[in-house]
Amino acid sequence: MFNQFGSTSETLSKASAVVLRIGTDAHLYDDPEDVNIAPLLDSKFESEKCEALKRLLALIAQGFDVSNFFPQVVKNVASQSSEVKKLVYLYLLQYAEKRPNEALLSINYFQKDLGDPNPLVRAWALRTMAGIRLHVIAPLALAAVSKCARDPAVYVRKCAANALPKLHDLRLEEHAPAIEEIVGILLNDHSPGVVGAAAAAFTSICPNNFELIRKNYKKLCQILPDVEEWGQILLIGTLLRYVVARHGLVRESLMLSLHGMDSNGFCEKDALVRDLTLDKEDGGKSDSFDVNLVNVVSKCYIEGPDEYLSRSSCLDPVTSAFDSKETTSVAHNEDVKILLQCTSPLLWSNNSAVVLAAAGVQWIMAPLEDVKKIVKPLLFLLRSSSASKYVVLCNILVFAKAAPSLFAPHFENFFICSSDAYQVKAHKLEMLSLVATTSSISSILREFEDYIKDPDRRFAADTIAAIGLCARRLPTIPTTCLDGLLALVRQESFAGDPESVDGEEGVLVQAVMSIQTIIERDPDSHDKVIIQLFRSLDSIKVAAARATIIWMVGVYCSLGPIIPRMLTTLTKYLAWSFKSEASETKLQILNTTAKVLISAKVDDFQMLKRIMVYMLELGECDLSYDIRDRTRFLKKLLPCKLASHEATEDSVASQENIAVHVVEHVFGSKLKPFLPLGLNDRFYLPGSLSQIVLHAAPGYEPLPKPCSFVFEEHDQLSDSDRQRDAGAVLDRSQESSETGDEDGSSDYDSESSVGSEFSSDDNERKVSNDASDPAAPLIQISDTSVSADQEELRSRRALDLWLDDQPSTSNQTPSAVNSNQSSYAKISIGDIGSRVKPKCYSLLDPGNGSGLKVDYAFLSEVSIVSPLHVCVEVLFENSSGEPILDVNLEDEESMKCILQQCANTNST
Amino acid sequence: MLQCIFLLSDSGEVMLEKQLTGHRVDRSICAWFWDQSLSQGDSFKSLPVIASPTHYLFQIVRDGITFLACSQVEMPPLMAIEFLCRVADVLSDYLGGVNEDLIKDNFIIVYELLDEMIDNGFPLTTEPSILREMIAPPNLVSKMLSVVTGNASNVSDTLPSGAGSCVPWRPTDPKYSSNEVYVDLVEEMDAIVNRDGELVKCEIYGEVQMNSQLTGFPDLTLSFANPSILEDMRFHPCVRFRPWESHQVLSFVPPDGEFKLMSYRVKKLKNTPVYVKPQITSDSGTCRVSVLVGIRSDPGKAIESITLSFQLPHCVSSADLSSNHGTVTILSNKTCTWTIGRIPKDKTPCLSGTLALETGLERLHVFPTFKLGFKIMGIALSGLRIEKLDLQTLPPRLYKGFRAQTRAGEFDVRL
Repeated sequence: MFNQFGSTSETLSKASAVVLRIGTDAHLYDDPEDVNIAPLLDSKFESEKCEALKRLLALIAQGFDVSNFFPQVVKNVASQSSEVKKLVYLYLLQYAEKRPNEALLSINYFQKDLGDPNPLVRAWALRTMAGIRLHVIAPLALAAVSKCARDPAVYVRKCAANALPKLHDLRLEEHAPAIEEIVGILLNDHSPGVVGAAAAAFTSICPNNFELIRKNYKKLCQILPDVEEWGQILLIGTLLRYVVARHGLVRESLMLSLHGMDSNGFCEKDALVRDLTLDKEDGGKSDSFDVNLVNVVSKCYIEGPDEYLSRSSCLDPVTSAFDSKETTSVAHNEDVKILLQCTSPLLWSNNSAVVLAAAGVQWIMAPLEDVKKIVKPLLFLLRSSSASKYVVLCNILVFAKAAPSLFAPHFENFFICSSDAYQVKAHKLEMLSLVATTSSISSILREFEDYIKDPDRRFAADTIAAIGLCARRLPTIPTTCLDGLLALVRQESFAGDPESVDGEEGVLVQAVMSIQTIIERDPDSHDKVIIQLFRSLDSIKVAAARATIIWMVGVYCSLGPIIPRMLTTLTKYLAWSFKSEASETKLQILNTTAKVLISAKVDDFQMLKRIMVYMLELGECDLSYDIRDRTRFLKKLLPCKLASHEATEDSVASQENIAVHVVEHVFGSKLKPFLPLGLNDRFYLPGSLSQIVLHAAPGYEPLPKPCSFVFEEHDQLSDSDRQRDAGAVLDRSQESSETGDEDGSSDYDSESSVGSEFSSDDNERKVSNDASDPAAPLIQISDTSVSADQEELRSRRALDLWLDDQPSTSNQTPSAVNSNQSSYAKISIGDIGSRVKPKCYSLLDPGNGSGLKVDYAFLSEVSIVSPLHVCVEVLFENSSGEPILDVNLEDEESMKCILQQCANTNST
Repeated sequence: MLQCIFLLSDSGEVMLEKQLTGHRVDRSICAWFWDQSLSQGDSFKSLPVIASPTHYLFQIVRDGITFLACSQVEMPPLMAIEFLCRVADVLSDYLGGVNEDLIKDNFIIVYELLDEMIDNGFPLTTEPSILREMIAPPNLVSKMLSVVTGNASNVSDTLPSGAGSCVPWRPTDPKYSSNEVYVDLVEEMDAIVNRDGELVKCEIYGEVQMNSQLTGFPDLTLSFANPSILEDMRFHPCVRFRPWESHQVLSFVPPDGEFKLMSYRVKKLKNTPVYVKPQITSDSGTCRVSVLVGIRSDPGKAIESITLSFQLPHCVSSADLSSNHGTVTILSNKTCTWTIGRIPKDKTPCLSGTLALETGLERLHVFPTFKLGFKIMGIALSGLRIEKLDLQTLPPRLYKGFRAQTRAGEFDVRL
């Protein structure tokens, strides 16, 4: 009975599972090969093809190679169903590189699709064609991209921008100039979506071609807030690089402001990392910033840390100071001002990558007093997903190292939540120890006390290390810290068998090490602490902690009045415990005994010597060869002190003198402050991958050299320049007749070009910056903003024109591409209608139109309906012998009448 | 730029791979990744950027599914992470969650979405409203249709109109018979109470969530009565920066449907609505625990679904806990959850019991952190008030609705 019930419920649940999965592609993923795929691909039903393709994709998803179906799949590229098409494209991209010959079969279909009236189809075809990665089709793909770069649909232009890096990736040298030109065109696009994608293309193709940016700099800054978030990230970086290359760093910025006044700090290499308190003594503005570190940071940004750090060790750093000519100032430089203005609202972006990129610009370029505005937005990012939290923290750490005072008032943000990931916790601890000040340290220490009791012992150990760092930075707190740490050491050593609890050893070791770092700063006033540690030596069982304490015995053996008196007892104890120690402790014991022996007073000397000899004997027969090596080393070095071997004392006196010196040097010298320039002191640009992984990732480039991009101002804009501009305008007008540039304003300039007296044969000339062109006598150029619906009107009409233009696109010259760059400018013309004869464009030639020839021209009059509209004159001519009847001029979009018809039929 | 995206199940199986550029990434990288995460444990799994021997890996984990992206060149790591988060958001929006079965069942949709969202390693279309128009989400109707007809394409034939407009987040001309717009203030309280029972940090993280169903091209302005209390904020791309800079007014053309208009933070709150008073004493191998939970300052609305969860320390071998209100569950991974619900009027909920320590331990020297959860409907604890929501052109039959709620975010009570 129950059995039966059980089985029913089982089938029920199965059935319900089946019901739930009905209509999904579950069965395809589970058993992609349960039917024969090949015949399905050849099926005449779209649905069967679709299923077959889905099965293939399932196999791809599971990591199988299904490239043997390639020929059959390629055939389906001609399918009309959008889903089949999409699936075929997905498949093609996976395998085209493997099967180049078959892939070529599909090219014709792409060519056809590129002429499809549906922008989605065009975009897909372009994306796939560019993604196929065959050298043979690269010229075709390039032609397609350059055509789509002028497509009326924004989406297609965006895809064209994305396709450029794909072509660039093929590394065909002969195409490089053409690709960069298209990048330029797309950067000049008026749609923010396209500009974002173009910025991405720019970064991966020609990140140092600043000429392209210079042409559009102001416009790019203005459009930046409207660009899609992903494009914003890269565009911000590009603009920053451009400004640095063009104008250099900003004098008032954090990067440079400390430079002039504090060159003496820069000379002291030993104190490379100077902390807050030391800086205070210097007085002045620099109290809140770590001067040397800021210098290192800014150098690293410009030169890349690998280069800088290797160089700084051999060169006198003062000579590497920035040339004052290579700097600029916010107050006087318009470009810098605009950059700062347009990036600062992005600190409110919803996308944390954008916020970080914008903060990076402010950090490097903003005047000192404005840098603090990046603090709150950055801290707010800590409330986002745990993954981005980590990356943001890594970057904040760099900022805080250079300028702890920025973050010092916000220390509460770095208090640790139990849900933080371990790495986040570790970084927050580092932040807390960096930004602690005398006023905040008490609350921070109280937090630390809580963390020490955390169940995650590794985190607790890190906390103790952070306490050590804090105590070293702030001179007022060590006493309280030491008491706490000693109590902890005592508690830990009595807490029973430490090995039973995971990570407990680490806590103890770290506590001893923190005590050691604190003592190191000022050993004289802490001798009581040292003595306490020595006393607790017997109860501490962890090898690393013991080794550290024993090391301290050696280092501080002559400190104060009490310690020297303890030494004999201590060394006796060490000798007694030597046998049972771990090898790292044994090594320390040997070293320490040698040190003690050297600095020993006369009355202890004999005793110590005997202990030393005993230990050397023990060490010689140790199992570990490290210890045996060390023993032998000591044995050779110490005979002068041991003096037990009386032989040959006189003959090698001079040698022994050297030995004494060596011994004094190795064991007797005073402790030097040891502050290495660690791995964490390598600085990369904020927000970069290299900063997270702490090595230069392939493709990482530091900021360009300040003022490396020199551009001759055209203050002497001569006639020839103007002529060039106008020539470009003319180029465009001619092209626009062929390609049907979507931008309505281009229709206006067609007349201007005819009206102007310039020659039209300079097709190859490069377009120069027309935005900076001063007002020409006849032609006035100004930026125009295109409203959404206006654009729509234009794009629809332009589409029709553009589609007509199919055959002529393949033989486009670069100048055709160039000509589009000025499509932003609105060109208004003075009263020239009288002296200008409008240029005619042929709409239909007699060959195609069975004898009917249709020409059209744009009139210079402003439309009486709306200034947005354009007057077009259409001329019909019958070149055949017979009369043509019923000629109709129809406007396809009767709803939105865009053409004001002044039809003038000349029928002969 | 990104070269490849892998979706890994919680057992490390590669469910899906999507190559993005010509530089293929072999899926053996996933095997390396999984080996590392098994051998290095949690700290590796929570590391979002990993330098593997051959590639840089970016990972996010969402509901057990690992989204892994690979790159070989320098790129902004946050961009990769944010993008993966966006992919995860879109997928869970489409599939109603992310888990192994859902992704395998709908792998075609996942492929189509990924193909649309990223092109050559650079994000292409990530706006959810446009994606929805391009690729239809699976729903019951389409499923049934596909069963009946055997063919139902979920790929749209036409380009969504929003894809090229200057307000890409909004489809052109949505039509509604009744125009409705709802504004929700959803706040989370983050707080830390230290071992002395002191409130170390208390702040509100809030979001203004909207659901707009408005015809045409509405232009909205939302203003707060007390915007000065906002410490930090981040905005949806639709919000114009200028009006906010000049007089703290949100002016925007909203996306269609539900979206997050802004997020903000209010700092330095003085009080929490609920208090937790834990006590623990340990002696000769056993600990006595007692935890009291009560209302500290009545917010004026009912405090609901109060829960308290904590992780028992490793050295606890067994626990015997009971409460005078609500239920206590202890899972095998030593997570203890006390579900209280509402606090009764007549008594103070109390959790008490004993913990037995492992042999050899006399007393407890590490202490758990309690995570408090609660929910209060109808009130924003930050005190932020919406003053008004204006539409530039009033559509007929407009309904405006406002709501607020507060729940506990990162609410830690340390013992």
